[in-house]
Amino acid sequence: MKDHVNSLADKLIDVSGIVIFFLLWEIAPRLGIVDGQFIPPLSQVLLAVGKLAADGSLFIHIAASLQRSFIGFVLAIAVAVPAGFILGGVFPALSRQLRPLLRVFGQINAFSLFPIFILFFGIGEVAKVSIIFWSTIWPVLFTTIVGVQNVDPLYIKSARSIGADKFTIFSKVILPGAAPVIFTGIRTGASHAFLMLIAAEMIGASAGLGWLVQNSAVNNIMPRLFAATMTIAFLGMTINYLLYLLEDNLLDWKQSSERG
Amino acid sequence: METALQKVVEKRSGKHSEQDKVGMLLNKIIAIVYDSLSIIIFIGIWEIAPRVGWVPQTFISPPTIIVSTLWELLVSGILIKHIGVSLGRAVFGFVCAAVLAIPLGFFLGGWFKLFERILTPVLRLLGEVNPFSLFPIFILLFGIGEVSKISMIFWVCLWPILLNTITGIKNVDELLIKSARSMGVGGGRLFFKVILPATSPNIFHGLKTSSSVAFFMLIAAEMIGASSGLGWLIWNAQTNYQIPILFAATITISALGLFMNYLFVILERKFISWKENPAEY
Repeated sequence: MKDHVNSLADKLIDVSGIVIFFLLWEIAPRLGIVDGQFIPPLSQVLLAVGKLAADGSLFIHIAASLQRSFIGFVLAIAVAVPAGFILGGVFPALSRQLRPLLRVFGQINAFSLFPIFILFFGIGEVAKVSIIFWSTIWPVLFTTIVGVQNVDPLYIKSARSIGADKFTIFSKVILPGAAPVIFTGIRTGASHAFLMLIAAEMIGASAGLGWLVQNSAVNNIMPRLFAATMTIAFLGMTINYLLYLLEDNLLDWKQSSERG
Repeated sequence: METALQKVVEKRSGKHSEQDKVGMLLNKIIAIVYDSLSIIIFIGIWEIAPRVGWVPQTFISPPTIIVSTLWELLVSGILIKHIGVSLGRAVFGFVCAAVLAIPLGFFLGGWFKLFERILTPVLRLLGEVNPFSLFPIFILLFGIGEVSKISMIFWVCLWPILLNTITGIKNVDELLIKSARSMGVGGGRLFFKVILPATSPNIFHGLKTSSSVAFFMLIAAEMIGASSGLGWLIWNAQTNYQIPILFAATITISALGLFMNYLFVILERKFISWKENPAEY
């Protein structure tokens, strides 16, 4: 019984910060401590979320944003992971050669490339998807190469000595061995991709959460602006959480995958 | 056999040192060229492709033209001005965030543990908010001038530094503190000799993360609304269709980013020399 109370108290302490923060957000604009025109109270923001959800437009924007990031993200993984395996596993010398180049590419500010992407692909979907693709591919490729090269050679040798063929070694030894590192890259890529997506949508789009933010700002509809911002934050956290979940399930052989 | 012996003798006598030096230098140059072969080949293809017509030259300018544009910008002082403006904004916001976040992190993580526990979820939530979507709010609150850009940088730098400092101070080995205390070390000396060095890897990690995010955000902020700075240079070049300038600015930004990264690695090595692999993040 006492343990139960204690754990409940622990939970209360853990959530109390968030609760107080939300309460302050509600009270401060109402009392005029901050300008309610610029920072609307939480209830109004939630009302705006409800309104957007009720007429369905919120889901259209979420779907538009998710679709773009998903296509770019999946394409990048589909290219980067096999390319990383081939470079890291089959051509280690070539991958050592390419390393500085990949580093430079990863360093290039994706935002400054945006105008060039628009020049190439127009202002349509392709430009946005390709900017997501670009910002995801480098971290994933880089970590895949590192992951493959860091698989303990002893594992590969011992698998070979038991008579495992090449495919078995790949699917049973190298792939699981490299997976944790690859996941770090995928998580980095996902957060980059989401950040870039919102930026891209703010600059030029006709739907999506970034567009919603931009449109609300231009039309000075503050509750909707905050509603969109909250939705984006919430969506980002959900994606992050899903990736953790996926990682935990795929890497269940690892005793505790690091939570960083 | 004899020649080998001769070589040893000659080496000992230092006769060939001049030649060896030249040889070593040559080897070093070869090694550097070999290491950056991929970059050299890439630049070579980049130069040839637009000139031969594989890609339209109006969209992708060859590196020679970009370099000459870069040189023009440099000589006329325009580039230096924009770099100065951008760096000024970034450094100001970054330093403000570090000055606030590091002491605050120490206080929260070291002394007010319960408060820290209550506050951490809020800090995480705020750090998770996409800074781009806050940009309109910052503009509304602070106008479109310098303040909104600097406060934007401040905002994105604050969270990584704060959260990492808190994590760092919470993870300081109790044994280190206890043993220092049992040797009669206390107060300021304990802080500066034990706690601060033990926390510094985490703090550095936070500083590094936030510096790269800061630079990223700065360029975005300048592209959205500014009248100077590297981001503005890109935006302006795009609207006026001056592709070489666009590429020149992009390259400058990447070079600055790489340079800052390098600077942090060096600083880290210097400050965290007690750690075996400081740059292994």
